[in-house]
Amino acid sequence: MKLSSMNYLFGQGMKNIWTNRIMSVASFCILSVSLLLIGFTMLFVANINRFVSGVENKNEVVIFLDDDVDSVMASAMENTIRNIHNVESVTFYSKDEALEDMKKSMESDNADQLFSYVGEENPLPDAFRIRIADIEEISPTLMDINRLDGIDSIKSPTDFINILTGLKRFIGIVSAVILLALILVSLVIISNAARASVDIRKREIAIMKLVGATNTFIKVPFFVEGMFLGALAGIFASAVTCIGYSELIKVLSQDMTIWSIMSVNGFIPMSEFVVRLVIGYAAAGMIISAFGTVMSTRKYLKV
Amino acid sequence: MVELRNVSVTYSNGVDALHDVSLRINDGEFAFVVGESGAGKSTLIKLLLKEITPTSGRITVNGFNLEKLKKSKAHKLRRTIGFVFQDFKLINTMNVYDNVAFVLRSIDAPIKYIRNRVPYVISLVGLKDRAKSYPTELSGGEQQRVALARALVNDPQLIIADEPTGNLDPKTSLEIVELLKGINECGTTVMMVTHEHELVRHFGGRTITIKDGRITFDDYIG
Ligand SMILES: Nc1ncnc2c1ncn2[C@@H]1O[C@H](COP(=O)(O)OP(=O)(O)OP(=O)(O)O)[C@@H](O)[C@H]1O
Ligand SMILES: [Mg+2]
Repeated sequence: MKLSSMNYLFGQGMKNIWTNRIMSVASFCILSVSLLLIGFTMLFVANINRFVSGVENKNEVVIFLDDDVDSVMASAMENTIRNIHNVESVTFYSKDEALEDMKKSMESDNADQLFSYVGEENPLPDAFRIRIADIEEISPTLMDINRLDGIDSIKSPTDFINILTGLKRFIGIVSAVILLALILVSLVIISNAARASVDIRKREIAIMKLVGATNTFIKVPFFVEGMFLGALAGIFASAVTCIGYSELIKVLSQDMTIWSIMSVNGFIPMSEFVVRLVIGYAAAGMIISAFGTVMSTRKYLKV
Repeated sequence: MVELRNVSVTYSNGVDALHDVSLRINDGEFAFVVGESGAGKSTLIKLLLKEITPTSGRITVNGFNLEKLKKSKAHKLRRTIGFVFQDFKLINTMNVYDNVAFVLRSIDAPIKYIRNRVPYVISLVGLKDRAKSYPTELSGGEQQRVALARALVNDPQLIIADEPTGNLDPKTSLEIVELLKGINECGTTVMMVTHEHELVRHFGGRTITIKDGRITFDDYIG
């Protein structure tokens, strides 16, 4: 197709938007609402996931050693543990460090007094802090660690993690289903809205077909129209999402319960997703809208 | 050239619109097609534009074998045909110039050619001063002239007119048919459907009569 024709068709598409401005506004609104629903669902899921992985990351396995384990044995154990499958890192956590940390975490007037009773004798055991690479595969790793000699006890968050991993999977599946449904529903609504604006021009389309226009030529203005409205809706939805999201976080952070839960990792800061959000919205808006519009021209192109 | 051989059309509702029709209109001819309402005249035209396909028989239009022509390539055939309809089929949101230019744009013609050709055909049908007007601002006769300009702009081999005078008064009807005659004299084949016998008698020439889907008369009169 020639450049001049592309220009002409582009102009026609823009003109169509104005000529059918009521339909255009309707399509724009429907698109914006669909995008917002999709966007906020994704943000909600992303925040939950962030919270879950935040909790997961906090969790490490701590093994407390028997009193009779000396430093030679300890470093041997460290090497063995490091070679166990799924172990990401091992750090030795001596009883002195543990005591220091304990003192720090109890920073109060009573602390010094409390610890003065302990005297020179440190009652805490030496320990290893072990980070697990894949938290979902923790069980066999724990079994391997258990086989080692010199272990007094193991502190692991197995139950909690099982719940969280289950939750994460569940949310993943549910959100995928919801998103798919939202996209399908928007497509259907948009193609119906577009059908109305195509209906207005069915006469024009019929005449174009009669004078020998190709289907592509007929579709391009609708495509342009759809893309343009989609992009507009994407920009609008981006603005609404950014403002809405930051306001929402402000409000939610005032609620102590929510705050204390989310404070593990915090909400996803907007700067982290704003670029992806705008691009994603615009792309989704354009694709849904252009696709819906072109779909609805099909029945008139058969002539 | 238009050629039909043993063509029949049965619509999906069982109506036998055309029955074993054979017909040949040579290049450069002017032919009237007459018949009562429901005789099958519009069905014949839809066949020639490949809007519908015959139940049986063969059709050739301007060198296209319609049996072999794919629906998706129908635009190639249509670009060789200009059409005029009773209801003008103009686009009311476009002015006269754009209604005509639109055909050339639709077939991706060069912009320079459009700029020369469109004013030329508009003046040919006598609407030079109305190029900026919209269809709703024009009389029926003027609207049909626009439709004629649009049919001509593409320099088609064949013009098909389906009751082009159906909505016009007798005087304007004569003017339109005279324009069609003029176009025919420049070498374009014209096939004009009408049920106004007056008009046919006035101009004479080849006349094809369809009755109940069959050709009952095909000869020169007047
Ligand atoms: N799409 C269709 N589906 C079913 N039947 C149809 C269809 N189009 C036309 N017919 C029938 O086919 C027959 C011929 O119709 P056609 O339109 O060809 O008549 P016509 O000669 O053009 O009449 P008129 O002078 O009123 O325009 C009629 O009986 C009509 O009812
Ligand atoms: Mg008819």
